Amino acid sequence: MELRVIDKSEAELRIEVAGEDHTFMNVLKGALLEADDVAAATYDVNPEQSGGQTEPILTVKTESGDPLDALEDAADAITEKTTALSDAVRAA
Amino acid sequence: MSEADFDVQYIERDDRSARVLIRGLSPAFANGIRRAMIADVPTFSIDTVRFVENSSVMFDEMLGLRLGLVPLTTPIDDFEIGDEVTLALDVAGPGTAYSGDLVSSEPLVEPADKNVPLIELKEGQRVELEADAVLDTGKEHAKHQGGVSVGYRHLQRVTVEGDLGEFDEEETRILRGVIETEDGEIVPTEAFDHDLSERYPGKEVSVEDVPGAFVFHVETDGSVDVEELIVRAIGTIEERADELRTTIAV
Amino acid sequence: MSYRCSRCKRDVTLDEYGGVRCPYCGHRVLLKERGGDVKEVSVE
Repeated sequence: MELRVIDKSEAELRIEVAGEDHTFMNVLKGALLEADDVAAATYDVNPEQSGGQTEPILTVKTESGDPLDALEDAADAITEKTTALSDAVRAA
Repeated sequence: MSEADFDVQYIERDDRSARVLIRGLSPAFANGIRRAMIADVPTFSIDTVRFVENSSVMFDEMLGLRLGLVPLTTPIDDFEIGDEVTLALDVAGPGTAYSGDLVSSEPLVEPADKNVPLIELKEGQRVELEADAVLDTGKEHAKHQGGVSVGYRHLQRVTVEGDLGEFDEEETRILRGVIETEDGEIVPTEAFDHDLSERYPGKEVSVEDVPGAFVFHVETDGSVDVEELIVRAIGTIEERADELRTTIAV
Repeated sequence: MSYRCSRCKRDVTLDEYGGVRCPYCGHRVLLKERGGDVKEVSVE
């Protein structure tokens, strides 16, 4: 996973997440959207109809706070979920 | 998001195939797990073959392809992606060579099925080869897929709304998957021939998806067992979340 | 051993003068044998 920031302002972040596909990006987007201070989150794996570019680009807008922090919180939230789910599967 | 409250219940369970009901998933997460089971859980598969002798009727490349498709047992804990294990095959006709004739240098990695026909040999024909199996993911090549036929459906809740009118026609109501009755009983639709009018004759019923409840159908090729596949798939998502976090921190 | 006569099954080595012909039986159909080297094939 390689991150390349394309655009960053106080409340908006556009970042390329190289090496990922829908599997993780959609989970990440879902986790971002569940956060309270995230106003909008989306990703595009085929920006500009792929002029050679196929790495997913994630866009995050926040209502308050740094979008990078929101991203970090989303990663935490995913880990929390995966840990709980793994335990639940093993226990079943 | 904070209430990571999952409930996992096996509806059918076998080594290689299972139906699992998981509650508390978001659709994105469910799909992430499904995709990860297919493409991101690594298994061993033969990748390079050195032919010492091949006097069979098949070209080396054809035999190589067939060897690549033989599922190999994969204890993922003991290996890393890119690790190699060597197997050997030495068979002479007349007779059929099966996957069980492959001899592995590593007892942990061997053909998951012994009865996959590789090639039929006539009198005087012989195949001798050495093959390197490599651990990789389904994303790289479909032969590395551990999960085959992995999918999910929503759990469906069936509610009895009342009796059918006296002169109403009893109509078949076909459903596939797993239903939850009003008493909370989980019933696969096979139990009533997929027809709700069999289970609730003379009743008017309504069907709705249960939010966040997914019934996964998981089938593996024998490389790993079902539980391992699911847990590994979840693990790959976790790995990526961890990676994201450390990359942001830098 | 580079060729084998398809009629008398004997090993045949071709030189530049004899043309394509089995020196033992005169048959003109020769079969190329598989080499003895180990052949490495990558599975696509």
